[in-house]
Amino acid sequence: MASKLISTAIRRNFLKPSTVPFLLRPYSTAAAAVEPLEEESSGITMKGVKISGRPLYLDMQATSPVDPRVLDAMLPFYLSRYGNPHSRTHLYGWESENAVEAARTQISTLINASPKEIIFTSGATESNNISIKGVMHFYKDKKRHVITTQTEHKCVLDSCRHLQQEGFEITYLPVKPDGLVDLEKLRESIRPDTGLVSVMMVNNEIGVIQPMEEIGRICKEFNVPFHTDAAQALGKVPIDVDKMNISLMSLSGHKIYGPKGVGALYMRRRPRIRVEPQMNGGGQERGIRSGTVPTPLVVGFGAACELAMKEMEYDGERINALKDRLLNGIRGKIDGVVVNGSEESRYAGNLNLSFAFVEGESLLMGLKEVAVSSGSACTSASLEPSYVLRALGVDEDMAHTSIRYGIGRFTTEEEIDKAVELTVNQVVKLREMSPLYEMYKDGIDIKSIQWSQH
Amino acid sequence: MGSAPTRSEVLSLFRSLLRTAREFSDYNVREYTKRRTVDAFRDNRRLSNQAEAAAAFAEGKSQLGVAKRQAVVYSLYAPKVKSIMEINHS
Repeated sequence: MASKLISTAIRRNFLKPSTVPFLLRPYSTAAAAVEPLEEESSGITMKGVKISGRPLYLDMQATSPVDPRVLDAMLPFYLSRYGNPHSRTHLYGWESENAVEAARTQISTLINASPKEIIFTSGATESNNISIKGVMHFYKDKKRHVITTQTEHKCVLDSCRHLQQEGFEITYLPVKPDGLVDLEKLRESIRPDTGLVSVMMVNNEIGVIQPMEEIGRICKEFNVPFHTDAAQALGKVPIDVDKMNISLMSLSGHKIYGPKGVGALYMRRRPRIRVEPQMNGGGQERGIRSGTVPTPLVVGFGAACELAMKEMEYDGERINALKDRLLNGIRGKIDGVVVNGSEESRYAGNLNLSFAFVEGESLLMGLKEVAVSSGSACTSASLEPSYVLRALGVDEDMAHTSIRYGIGRFTTEEEIDKAVELTVNQVVKLREMSPLYEMYKDGIDIKSIQWSQH
Repeated sequence: MGSAPTRSEVLSLFRSLLRTAREFSDYNVREYTKRRTVDAFRDNRRLSNQAEAAAAFAEGKSQLGVAKRQAVVYSLYAPKVKSIMEINHS
């Protein structure tokens, strides 16, 4: 009866279009939240900013464009080959299953694992959740302690926070000023009841590469499972799960020119690591991640991995050259530019710079023609400086002015030159307005000033 | 596998790939396809082994197929507004 009333109400509202938005708002927040995006051939107007063209994209850590070769592999599975890969009774199911298994092999080859060790998930966030909560819940009788670092991705830190509320103990390892883990501190932190060590391979904000082989060796010595979030590392730095002694690894599709909404979890079989599933249901993916495996996405992820393997050297050399071009271009024209994180052990496609004496938000607002971010996309809405930079011991003022330049496969030299030009112009403009920069040029040490407030 | 491709076959494939690359509506994909084509042909220039040359040629042919299809897909969904890079250059 009630449902009938609602349906007639809805039908009535649809007949009167003028009242629909007002009446529907309580039910549909999504419709209300979408801002109009005016797109004309003369330019785009959004959030009150008018841009003459689509901005050049330098935010590859947030997400990467889908490679046309990946899309080409995916499209057939959105068209005629729509079968459920778990259907065992007809051709539609069989062809989808074959495609899923081929993708599993493509992914496992890239990380030197067996296809049986790959579990498909919705992304690295889910893989991280399964790894951390799943392992600790499974071994909760004997293991009560987790070691991670202060610079992990939010989903790892939040999973740990969740475990803490359940009574587990977590050690958040500090990092050195270059962003790398102190191996001695890691060794000292391991206890007999440590159930997991989780350290990300390549940091999403500052791009530093952690010493995986050394961490893996320490974990092996104490016989502690080692989990790593390799979402930013896959296809960009060589990964070998055996050499690095990795027990669990989180992977993501959309960071390597694959589709969004798909990821994978690597789970070692020998010695076997077990997890408690986060989702229960049809028992797909050996019961660890129930739910129909999305064939087109998985096929795209597999194709992206195979491409990454073929192109790793070519892309690597190119991205390295573009990074040098960007850094030298900016440093050649302005001073007070600091690279955040280790300069040696880092992935070239992620360049996190801080500009002294400018205000970060003004800088980002002035760079509307360059799609960059101040750090992680997940926290880019807040004005707080990044917790990753604070963990490195970066001063508050410098942490506020960080910009992350993400260079990728499709970035051109011209784009880098344009980004350099726009950044330099904006920094110079802001510094002209800054009394602090004037004082610095007069030789006054800013840090020695006693501000009356605070 | 077949024998090594002739010089004119290789040049024809090279030209077809470049021609298709220019059809991409997306600035970044277009530039990438051109660049990748030129670099791949330069790298494979010295392939003396017949089987290797034939394999590289077959790979190029299949990539041409991908590029032709995807150039069409990209054109179907091209945004009205072009990249800032194209506007400033013209």
